[in-house]
Amino acid sequence: MEAVRATEIMVAAGARELRDGQTVVVGLGLPQVACVLARRTHAPALSLLLEIGVTNMNPVDTPIGLADSRIFYRATCWSGFLDILGMNLHRGVVDVGFLGALEIDRFGNINTTLLKEDSGKLRYFNGSAGGNDVASLAGRVIVIMRHEKRKLPTAVAHLTSPGFPGGRSRKDLGLRGEGPQRIITDKAVLGFDRGTHQATLLSLHPGVELQDVIENTGFRMETPKTVPATPLPTPEELRLLREEIDPKNVYLG
Amino acid sequence: MPDKVKTVVDAVRGIPDGSHIALGGFAVARNVIAVAHELIRQQKKNLTLSQCVVGMDTDLLVGAGCVSRLIIGGGSLDRFGPVHCINRAREDGTVESHDYTSLSICFRYLAGALGISFIPIKSLIASEVLDRLEHGPAAADVRRMKCPFTDEDYILMKALNPDVSLVHVQVADREGNCQIEGPRWENEEQAKSARRIIVVTEELVPTEYIQRSPERTVIPAHRVEAVIHQPFGAYPTAVFGCYDFDDAHLKLYVEHVKRPDRVKQYLDTFVLGTKNHWDYLEKAGGLKRMEEIKAERVLGY
Repeated sequence: MEAVRATEIMVAAGARELRDGQTVVVGLGLPQVACVLARRTHAPALSLLLEIGVTNMNPVDTPIGLADSRIFYRATCWSGFLDILGMNLHRGVVDVGFLGALEIDRFGNINTTLLKEDSGKLRYFNGSAGGNDVASLAGRVIVIMRHEKRKLPTAVAHLTSPGFPGGRSRKDLGLRGEGPQRIITDKAVLGFDRGTHQATLLSLHPGVELQDVIENTGFRMETPKTVPATPLPTPEELRLLREEIDPKNVYLG
Repeated sequence: MPDKVKTVVDAVRGIPDGSHIALGGFAVARNVIAVAHELIRQQKKNLTLSQCVVGMDTDLLVGAGCVSRLIIGGGSLDRFGPVHCINRAREDGTVESHDYTSLSICFRYLAGALGISFIPIKSLIASEVLDRLEHGPAAADVRRMKCPFTDEDYILMKALNPDVSLVHVQVADREGNCQIEGPRWENEEQAKSARRIIVVTEELVPTEYIQRSPERTVIPAHRVEAVIHQPFGAYPTAVFGCYDFDDAHLKLYVEHVKRPDRVKQYLDTFVLGTKNHWDYLEKAGGLKRMEEIKAERVLGY
């Protein structure tokens, strides 16, 4: 079998964060793949909600985004923002929000809006869409993204979606939900300290050196004395990912 | 009920410069391309556009210089890339952008649709999205408050009541009863918040067809001002059950608009250089290409 890719470790780690029976609002890309993997393995009763207004889709072709008809296929409900982000997320029945990010900082604040170039010029990106809503309102938030120093700064260039701004508690800030709980990257899995609300290292993917992660993280991070290894995907998870969920490598490649 | 079928040219003539237009598309799905093109051909100016998730129609209108203000939640062309014209206009400050979130825009439409003047929300709190709204051109549209019953923190937002809502649907009758297949994002709240509703339909059907499944009617005729019949009217974006997006044309669009000097070339070729939507479809590959992207009946794409 072909060597395990970092993206496969990421989505398997993401899938393992989900419990059977939970309700999840999921964003574009790898989060989607992780949720589909969880449903096809240990969490068949997971409810997947897409902000566009799709519940529990069963795509047979890999969708390229939320607006792709491929992701509407064999859903159990078609609705819209008001249902998914309003009467589910805002209502408080969404257990997990699963997001991607342009940048995330040590307090789990997410930027999907803009970056500042060295010249001082601003470069705009996709903005919030449902990201701020999910980060503000979901029970817990999981972020999946590439591990690069510039993507993991001490403070984000623009705070699109709040984690624990200023290291304050969610309750203090007037926010619902427990906030960000995991950052899953192509090198490691990070968690958040319950007291300081700062990101901490939870596990390193097999073959990744601690020094590599420290050098590629823009903020100082608590690291345990012995760092556990992130579990590899099982052969069945790999088969599902490669043969059924993303055979054309739209997301995993 | 009166016959409301109009040509896109006549419908667009009735939209004055400076109007607030709400667009019914989402990224690369059900964009009102036929109307966006005609707005560009008639060189409308100073438009305000609002939408939860922007897509190609919004990007085209901004790229053509028709827009002075955006009230939006975010958006992209999915895997085809970012909305280059919009992002550039925000960087250059040529468009005043009020950046919200998907749900907050949807709630503002909902308030508008319900005839209430404001709505509370638990999103936006403790974010720079809120800071920028409060300290920018949208300052008059947002407030903070505590719930008078529970003391919980809320953000209040003013209702949105666009002058015109444009929505692309799969099926409508000549009176304006609209049926949408697939997810409907903010179509219903947005349309019903607007003062006027103009729909573009893939297919014109007899009212008796609507009466067979009235539960699928999302926008009923008495709210609709005009119906434009334009098959492939959302091309190159997708219409569920009718046709898929055209990946080749979307790539060609992105290749052009990612370079500011090539935006004009795209517009000259496919919008200003075409007489109408049929002419545009012909230039984009004609019947052969439309047949290739036509939806398969079971899959819907």
